[in-house]
Formats: sequence, C-alpha cells, structure tokens
Amino acid sequence: MSALHPFSLLAIAAALPAFAWILPAPAGGLATTLVAMGLTLTPGASPGSTGAGLAPGWRPRSTGVWLTPGWRPGLVTFRTALVIAAPFWLFLRLLHDGPTTVAMGLRITTMVASCVWLVAVLSPDRLVEAMVARGWSLAVAYLFAATLSAVPVLKARARRIVEAQRCRGLSPRGSVANRLRALRALALPLVLSALHEVDERTLALETRGLGMGVRRTPLAAPLDRTAERVARWTLLLLCLTALIRRLA
Amino acid sequence: MSVRLLALIPVAVAISLALSAAVDAVALPLFLDTTGTILATALAGPAVGVAVGVLTSAVNTLRNPTFSPFVVVQIIVALYAGLAARAGLFRSLRTAVPAGLGLGVIASLTSTPISYFVFGCTTTGGIALTTALGKALGLPPLGACFFGSFVSDFGDKAVTFALVAAVLHALPRRTAARFPLALRAMGAT
Repeated sequence: MSALHPFSLLAIAAALPAFAWILPAPAGGLATTLVAMGLTLTPGASPGSTGAGLAPGWRPRSTGVWLTPGWRPGLVTFRTALVIAAPFWLFLRLLHDGPTTVAMGLRITTMVASCVWLVAVLSPDRLVEAMVARGWSLAVAYLFAATLSAVPVLKARARRIVEAQRCRGLSPRGSVANRLRALRALALPLVLSALHEVDERTLALETRGLGMGVRRTPLAAPLDRTAERVARWTLLLLCLTALIRRLA
Repeated sequence: MSVRLLALIPVAVAISLALSAAVDAVALPLFLDTTGTILATALAGPAVGVAVGVLTSAVNTLRNPTFSPFVVVQIIVALYAGLAARAGLFRSLRTAVPAGLGLGVIASLTSTPISYFVFGCTTTGGIALTTALGKALGLPPLGACFFGSFVSDFGDKAVTFALVAAVLHALPRRTAARFPLALRAMGAT
C-alpha cells in the first residue's frame, strides 16, 4: 500500500469517511469501517512490515500505543485505531440511544481508522516530492514539512521549560489564580523563544532563495501511474454520485 | 507573502500544539490550541492567521482525526482576532480578556453544530461529560451540546487572548516592528 502514489493514499483516506457519512446507516458505516480497519492490517501499515521509514513526527506516538511493550508490531496500526475510536463509542452511548450510537460510532471509527492508516503509510517526504512534481510552490511544500518538524522540537522545549521552572521553585498547584500565574511563567518563555527563532528561519530561507512562487525540480518524484489517476477520479465521481443519490 | 511571514507560520502552529505541555503542568481545563492562530493574526494579519489555523487543524488531525471539521472554528478565530488586532484590543489585559470572552461565545456557537451533527457531541471526554451534565440539567440535545462547548471555550479563549497580549508586550519593540501588524495590535501606533 505504501508504494501507492501519495495522492492516491490521500484520496482513499478522504473517500472512506465521505462514504461513511453519505451512505445510509448502519450498513454504509459498517462497510466503510470494515474496509478502513482492513486497511490498517495491510502490509506497509505497521512498523513491523514495510512502513518503517516514516518521519518521527508522523508516527502516532501520542496515543502511547506505538511503542508499548507487548504489542505485536503487525497489529499496531489496527490497535491504535481501536484505542482512539473506543472512547467515542463510550461517550456516544452516554449521550445517545442505541441506533444513533451505532450509526455515529461506525462513521467516527471509519474516520479514525482511515486517518491512522494514512499516517502509517504516507511518508511526508514522498508527499512533498509529489506536491513539488505536480507544480506546487516550494513555499507550500516548506510550510507542510517545516510544520511537521517544528512541532516535536517545540514540544520538547516546552517540557524542558516546565522542568526548569519547577527547579526554580515554580509551583503549578493551588488556586486558579496561582495556576494562571504559573501558566504565564511557562508559556511566555516558550512563545518568545519560538518567535525569536523566526528571525533565524527567515535568514536561512532567504539565503536559499525561497519565496512564494519559487519552484524546485523534484529529485525523486513518486511514480503516478495512469491506473491510479483513473482510480482517484473514479473515487471522486463515486462520492459525488452517492451524495446526489442520497440527497435526491 | 514575505519570507518572514512564511517562516512565522510553522512556528505559530508549533506554539499552538506545544503549549499543551504547559497546560498539563498546571492542570487547568484549557486547550490553548488557538494561541498560534491568534498570535500570528495579531502579528501579521488574518491571512497568515487563517493559514496557521488550517495547518494547526491539519496537524491536529494526524493526532486525532476528529479535529478536521473544526478547521472552520480556527478560521473564525483568525478573522475575529484580525478585527481585535485592528481595534488595538491587545493593548492591555483589560481589553484583551473581554475580547477573548466574546470570542469564546462565537467559537462555541461555531463549534456546536459541527460537534452535534458530525460527532454527536463526543469530540473530547471533557465536552462529552459537560454535555451529559447539560442533559441531566434538562437542556435539549443541541442546548446541552452548546453548554458543553461554551464551558470549554469561554474561559479558554479569554486566557488565550490574555496570553497573546502578554507575549506582544513582552516582545522587544525592534522584534515586534518586524511584523506588519504587531504595533497596531498593541495599540502602540
């Protein structure tokens, strides 16, 4: 699956939730959920198979499931999807009746499984190459790639600031006013240091001649087969047809 | 768009997502996930703010796909923050906090229909539980959903506006002057 063109992977991940919402519940939602959950079991959708080369920022580590000891690698993506989707079923049952819970739960599970699968199989490097090859501006590709790399860096810095302020005696407990003061002491250094970083990034980008409208020659553009392009357009047409039939 | 603003966008997105560590440390029921959007708008205008909001939603979606439909809220936040910056409402906490409370009402009005019709009000555990409380208090389903969104958004946006005002005033004047709207947002021009 990870060998597919990045746009094809995006099209599949977008089409499944769209079908889940368009097709009549619960059969439509059940079908899309089965397909999406099936995708999480395909080769390339788990670190134990061929999808090991993903950028760290894209791995679903935030769920805490990715590297949990005892989890078999082949089912990590499948289980990640289940762990993310499970609370929604609980809250839906808390707020709604049985049929509504099933209908919405299947739609949300499709959405979750599609996205978890996409994160597992789609390499950001390949996506950026595909965007550049399609003629997108380098600035757009930069925004996408730089954001993914900046988030883990700033999160790590935030944790360091929290530890440093605690060492200096900052107490984040007590009354709400006390906690808000502590929040200010934690957030200000993080935000100010990040804003000062903008100067360095600007200089680096200007040195490399980057600006809006600048294009780059792709070095390793992913292969976009005719069959995949046809399949993507077919998916779009199927979605539109299903929507029109549903609304009619 | 200048290279400086291009460099600002990923940093602002990362600020929005990294602040969760600070929020976890103080254990307050806040998200602060629009801080980067509001800050970028105050520094560089609503177009940059919208770009930050859309990218924040996209990156959040990779963590939890249910964030994707709420991109509309990020766009509304950027547009509102643009108006607030033009009016110089970040000049002090006395003006920033009420402006943030106003945004809290608008954000909850925007997010309620999305949360209700797409997710049945189950976007996060906190909102689901507050919605359940609203139902227990006898509110109709949509009213209970608004109650859940309002409780979470009202204080969050006020704190976010106050934080952005504090950041703008803590910025060295020379640094602030490098961004097109910063001085105006602070009421310095």
